[in-house]
Amino acid sequence: MPDKNVLILGGGVAGLSAALELARFDISVELVEKTGFPGGHAIQFSCKATDKCVKCGACVAEEKLENVTENPKIRLMRNTCVEKVTKSDRFSVTFQTGPEYIDPDKCNGCGVCLEKCPSAGAVMQGFSKHHTPFYAICAEKCLFIKDGSCNVCQEACPEGAIRLDQKPGDYACEADAIIVATGFTGFDPKDKPYGYKVFPNVITNLEAERMLRQQDILLRPSDNKPAERIAFIQCVGSRDASLNHLWCSKICCGSSLRMARRIKARGPETEITFFYIDVQTFGSDFQGVYEDIREEFRMIRAIPGDIFRTDDDRLQMAFLDSNTREPAEEIFDLVVLSAGLTPGKDTEHLAGLLGAELADTGFFSSSRDGIFLAGAARGPMSIAESVASAGNAAWETVKYLSEK
Amino acid sequence: MTDKTLVIGNGPCARSIAEALITQGAEVIVATKKDSADISSAEKVLSNTKLVSCQDSAGSFNILMNRNGEELSETVGNVVIAEEAVREPDFSSYELTPSPDVISLSRLTGLLSDGKSDELSGKKIVFLTGLAKESSPVILEDIMQSCLRLQSNFHAQTYILTKNLKVGGNGLEALYRTTREAGAVYVKFTDVMPEIRQEKDTGVALTFTDEITGEKLRLSPDITVVDERIFPSEDIAELAALLELDTDQNGFVQADNVHRISVLTNRKGIFAAGPSRSIHSPADQVTDAGNAVISVLKPEADQPETAAQVNKGLCVRCLTCYRVCPYRAIILNARPFVVPEACEQCGICTAECPAHAVTIKELTRDEISDQIIKGIPQKKETTTPFLVAFCCRRSAVRAKALASCMGHTLPRGLRIIEVPCAGGVSHEHIFSAFQNHADGVLVLTCHEGNCHSERGNIHARKRTDHISGILSETGFESERLLIRTLASNMAKEFADIVNGFEKTILDLGPSSLSQ
Repeated sequence: MPDKNVLILGGGVAGLSAALELARFDISVELVEKTGFPGGHAIQFSCKATDKCVKCGACVAEEKLENVTENPKIRLMRNTCVEKVTKSDRFSVTFQTGPEYIDPDKCNGCGVCLEKCPSAGAVMQGFSKHHTPFYAICAEKCLFIKDGSCNVCQEACPEGAIRLDQKPGDYACEADAIIVATGFTGFDPKDKPYGYKVFPNVITNLEAERMLRQQDILLRPSDNKPAERIAFIQCVGSRDASLNHLWCSKICCGSSLRMARRIKARGPETEITFFYIDVQTFGSDFQGVYEDIREEFRMIRAIPGDIFRTDDDRLQMAFLDSNTREPAEEIFDLVVLSAGLTPGKDTEHLAGLLGAELADTGFFSSSRDGIFLAGAARGPMSIAESVASAGNAAWETVKYLSEK
Repeated sequence: MTDKTLVIGNGPCARSIAEALITQGAEVIVATKKDSADISSAEKVLSNTKLVSCQDSAGSFNILMNRNGEELSETVGNVVIAEEAVREPDFSSYELTPSPDVISLSRLTGLLSDGKSDELSGKKIVFLTGLAKESSPVILEDIMQSCLRLQSNFHAQTYILTKNLKVGGNGLEALYRTTREAGAVYVKFTDVMPEIRQEKDTGVALTFTDEITGEKLRLSPDITVVDERIFPSEDIAELAALLELDTDQNGFVQADNVHRISVLTNRKGIFAAGPSRSIHSPADQVTDAGNAVISVLKPEADQPETAAQVNKGLCVRCLTCYRVCPYRAIILNARPFVVPEACEQCGICTAECPAHAVTIKELTRDEISDQIIKGIPQKKETTTPFLVAFCCRRSAVRAKALASCMGHTLPRGLRIIEVPCAGGVSHEHIFSAFQNHADGVLVLTCHEGNCHSERGNIHARKRTDHISGILSETGFESERLLIRTLASNMAKEFADIVNGFEKTILDLGPSSLSQ
């Protein structure tokens, strides 16, 4: 179908997979990603192999991105957001692009910008060699963008690749069909009583994934020391009627328990405690894995009440001990909150632009009229499920285009 | 080459695959062991038919089938396995014997859908699920749907006794809340399971301590429903064996390997969808069907020009290559022959062939030796050991590239030799590295269970272990040869491995062969 053009919104593992499937049909694909680093959440995740692969699928994102980058039928646009969608026979879509603060052609990836930047988090490092440029400026944290008070990176860049006064541009395209693959947003646990963003050593599972990925070990953010006693709290923001989040996020038991096993395999002396409601099945060898897990970790079926910081910068947690049915307290070095998967930040806005329907959960509900859904935009999904969902969205798209 | 597709199965997944392919103008043959097939629109529908053999490879599989004793042969381009799985109730795990008041979940759903549900009216019904073995969302969904009907339409009182409530499926947490609002009672167990007794006269009695209140409770249900576990059918096992497909630890088609996501198998042109590969929920089966259809319509592009080749003059017909090929790309005529369309160029056959008769262009001894020689440092300094790292293209090569991007310092004397799979790194390659002045040789491969060629990393380990043994016997330090596994996205790990290895080699000093 060389005369067809499909627009894919979202360059995560689902968007990348759908693009590759469509390209095999000789369909031209515009793959639009709002951040500077395509690959979505999955490309930031750590390999969780102990001595063997545990099938988390994190490495799949890297391979998909490489294949997309090399595919001449796919045009991958970074830093691009949808502004307007109109439909007559085809879709006409306009976008805002950029600002592209770092010129990908000039940047040599030396990292001086990150080294010199005085504002934490304002220069971000990529996760894949296909992140070109390998660095990006975070507009919310950059001091130049805030008040023009700093241009250290621009001055320091040996290639002259950084221009902080860049303005956004625009872009337009026509498409015969659209695949929405905008993924999820991790729940922000700041309103839960766990001191997230108050105590540096309370982090989310997504942050833990990134930390393991970059450093191969979980360190306490407050002092960069390895954590000896780690607690994982499951279902933070999932299965929560008070938030009207009536869904299980599906991936967190697998993500957290696999991370815990990797940590334990590298540091057998690490003590890990798991607070959970129900352990969800992950992987085809779950029965055996679950039996091992119950030996390796302390499993407590309870949702902890709250967390305080002790005088020696540790974390004291209160919970109802399910064995004694008495209130109990424990001290940990690091707490990992399994923050649930919630609808993508822009989901409502995007649904408005597309005229698409949302389910009660706030995720996209169903494909129709040339708009198809792939991946976690539909609801919580593992990496493997997202790839499968994208394959099916590609099939629905091909079918739609062949009937059109 | 033919565009014909053979779909094996008769369930909803097989049906939707066949129908979708037909709408796209593909020629479809449906074969099922059942005595009738529900798919009418296919070119050929073969009921009472079983697969007898499958010869040749992707693009043209020669299939022999048996239909009521009559032999049929077909040549097809693709095969899709979309067989149904079987459910088996777990009575024995609960020490229960099936009886009119102790039934399986399927029996209950059967009663509900047959309209023979009067006997359920107003009854006290207990579901046992996941207490002995871990359950699954697809079973829980059936249980909760049944509960909802029993509570709402039959004024029954339902109890669900479980360990981990498997709500990790789409919409199941919401359904769980709905069943509770309808009056279903959930009792969860963590370490101590309920005591279950079945008496002839009085039926089943369950006694347990409520974990939240500590109260001792006793339940005497009118009907006890036992959950089920899902197994591959005998048909699935037979097909996997016949088509030489890898299976997962439970016997479902498709190895538990991320490279097979979502419907791929170890053989090009053969796909597994739905229950055959352990995908059981109806929604996920629809997704799988879509993936099977798209895979059949547009298979991956082939790269036959780099396929393995058997040198007739050297081949001694030992059939090693035939045995080790993970993709079943080698067929036997008078001699072994590599089907280029099915070959994935992993190189395992080339490394294993004792007669050096199988070659892949980029993996020949000369090709690899040339690369090693080019890497020999011009001026040899004693502080920079020459390290040759054979790196799998799918994992270590990518990890190396990322490590460079991230600014990790890597040994100056490190030379990367990219190979399609570490299973293709032969004795000769490793010895060539040592002969060409390597102070240390690394083989970096994928984690076990993550090898695209399924066993390439295991072959690589066997080979390096063997060579280490030889080196030790000759008095050469076996520490100079190291095999490690890693993933493509782990840059830090790559840097740690190679830097750690450099340190080992620095401690050992230059190799006696590099003087």
